[in-house]
Amino acid sequence: MSKKNTPTKKESIKENKKESGFKTYFKELGEAISKGDWSVKLSMLFMGAGYTAHKQIIKGILLTLFEALSIVLFVIFAIPSLKDFGTLGTVKFEKILDPATLQTTVNDYDNSFTILLGSIVSLFLVFVFILIWIANIKAVYRLQLIDQLPESINKPHINNFWGGIKTLVNNKFHITLLFLPTVGVILMNIIPILVLIAIAFTNYDQNHMPPNALFTWVGLANFKSLFTNTVTSSFSYAFGKILGWTLLWAVLATVTTFFLGILLAMLINVKGVKFKKMWRTLFIVAIAVPQFVTLLLVRYFFDDAGIVNSVLGNLGIVDVLKNIGLVNEHLNYIPFLSSEHWAKFMIIMINIWVGVPYQMLIATGVLMNIPTDQIEAAKIDGATNFQAFVHVTMPYVLFIQGPALITDFVKNINNFNVIYLLTNNSYITPDQAMANANGKEVDLLVTWLFRLTNEYYNYKMASVIGIIVFIICAVFTLTLFRKLMSGGREEQFQ
Amino acid sequence: MIKFKKKFIAFLRHLLLAILVVIWLVPILWLVVTAFSGYSGVNKTHFFPQSWTINNFVTLLTKPDSVVQYGTWFKNTLIISIFTCIISTLFVLMVSYAFSCMRFRGRKELMSFSLILNMFPGVLSMIAVYFVLKSIGLTNSHLGMIIVYSAGSGLGFLIVKGFMDTIPVSLRESAKLEGASEFKIFTKVVMPICKPIIVYQIISSFLIPWGDFVFAKLMLNSGVSKDYTVAIGLYNMLDRSLVNEYFAIFCAGGFVVSIPISILFIIMQKYYVEGVTSGAVKG
Repeated sequence: MSKKNTPTKKESIKENKKESGFKTYFKELGEAISKGDWSVKLSMLFMGAGYTAHKQIIKGILLTLFEALSIVLFVIFAIPSLKDFGTLGTVKFEKILDPATLQTTVNDYDNSFTILLGSIVSLFLVFVFILIWIANIKAVYRLQLIDQLPESINKPHINNFWGGIKTLVNNKFHITLLFLPTVGVILMNIIPILVLIAIAFTNYDQNHMPPNALFTWVGLANFKSLFTNTVTSSFSYAFGKILGWTLLWAVLATVTTFFLGILLAMLINVKGVKFKKMWRTLFIVAIAVPQFVTLLLVRYFFDDAGIVNSVLGNLGIVDVLKNIGLVNEHLNYIPFLSSEHWAKFMIIMINIWVGVPYQMLIATGVLMNIPTDQIEAAKIDGATNFQAFVHVTMPYVLFIQGPALITDFVKNINNFNVIYLLTNNSYITPDQAMANANGKEVDLLVTWLFRLTNEYYNYKMASVIGIIVFIICAVFTLTLFRKLMSGGREEQFQ
Repeated sequence: MIKFKKKFIAFLRHLLLAILVVIWLVPILWLVVTAFSGYSGVNKTHFFPQSWTINNFVTLLTKPDSVVQYGTWFKNTLIISIFTCIISTLFVLMVSYAFSCMRFRGRKELMSFSLILNMFPGVLSMIAVYFVLKSIGLTNSHLGMIIVYSAGSGLGFLIVKGFMDTIPVSLRESAKLEGASEFKIFTKVVMPICKPIIVYQIISSFLIPWGDFVFAKLMLNSGVSKDYTVAIGLYNMLDRSLVNEYFAIFCAGGFVVSIPISILFIIMQKYYVEGVTSGAVKG
């Protein structure tokens, strides 16, 4: 083990030295600019100049072409958006009926969303351009330093154009590997997130929908209305309630499925249980059916007038529940998914139904690899089965499953399917204040924001809620991951 | 006496398992029997249908109408999932290799950044994606859906990277000493070892379009049944105005799509458990 570790340690030391952050990044840039010769300074203006001066013509030409293309794109695409970025457009959409021809013409209006999107994309590209520009200056300065070395010593090898391409499949292979996935992530994640963060500071909602209307910056007004209650807005009331339920749900959903999954795995794994494989497969069949099919089905199963209710009604169980006060007297059915407390209870139960087989499978794998000598040692020392479970099995399982538990918690905070498919169309909130904020008691923050956008076009509030969900998840994961990852967990097994 | 007690406990265990299995399988059983029901709406009083028929399957597979286009949906979903599967598997493998096996400046920062980025609720950023795709005319198209499912997939590197972390460094070092480039090491040394986790990755990304509901609902909003994926098509059958006519067909559709999906899912789980737990064995 120790032999294996040596190269890793060396590597990580090297890595730590290199990774000393932003400070060095700008220090190097400052040094390059102040100490660079004329070729460095000229390449600040013409990016290819430095390389050309150091006899790398192809790189020089390519860089200059890149610069020229960037400038042309900037003038054509970025400037028209960016000039309206401060106001998000001023010319309103108007239709004019020309009385002579009886044809309506549309004026040259501003579309606030296009302006916002265009500006953000432009700013992002400008940022990327600046990064490349800085990298170029540093590279030219490095060339200069190498040139200045005395002839007598062995100079470090300088890559020409083709050599540079070759390193992309070798030393700098990570650049090749990460390029396309990064472009994808920028398109699908970074730019949308930037757009939505921007929308949180605008009044983009049903009354300000492009192209027919303009929206504009409103500063922190949306955040204010989420945190303060006014007569006209009940968002802060709804937010408090939904946030509470979201957190409660995430904890309950994660904990119940995790522990019940382990218990089920142990129940099947015990010596003396026959047909182990059959039992496992039966449980897996239940969750192998696509979730949306089973969830929609279960919704009809537990409908107010559904089959469970008619069976339980015939058996007289509904009356029993009425007598002990679990069901409202006026009802002749159990409001499984239509009253707040029943619905929350059922959602947790159905989630157990969905989630336990997964956890059972994973726990089975983990339990099979548990070092049995430790359990036996504990038993020889006089530990009972239960003590061995608490002090040996659980810590081991938690160690292996720790990161998965964190991701599960975050996934549950954002668990759209279970809540939406079970309660959409079947749960109607009795609380006027909740209804005013377009929320329901059983909503999670994500389902709330989904309906805010998809049904009510309230993009501004949805963005604010999204940012808050993001902050909760990020703070939570980062603190926990830091704890788990400390102590070189990552390279432990290499 | 002790033997009897032991047997009794074992009996109780089996009984408990049997009860649990029944609870877990009741909805599935309901799905299957309703698929063969002669009554087309939601049966509210009887678990088993009063009359049996296979007409639901016949209608589903051979008689497309304005609501049900099952064959087309299946084809749409298949095309989308094949491309999604190829692109995301490649992306995830590339990112995982770079993060796990290579050491470069800014690696840790980039990893933490990706983790944080992954925290952002996808449902929310999807709305912006919708506008972006709409402005280039890609909503209601296969290409748009493929982009939605696969472009950001590089962020899901955690499991595969975790697996690659367990591959001994010495293997790569010796390959390097023999003059292999990083590209060679990636394709010839690391990839073969990663087989179980690659299979897991392939199947799980293939399954995304079959199970996804949210993104498809946002993107495929033309109302034209021909554009739908299986998930949206089936959901649409449960619309208030349609459910009484189409519930049994919905069950038949759910049943048909479940068969290939379940098989793939069971295979995937096997490889997942193998991949996730093998790290512990090597330690």
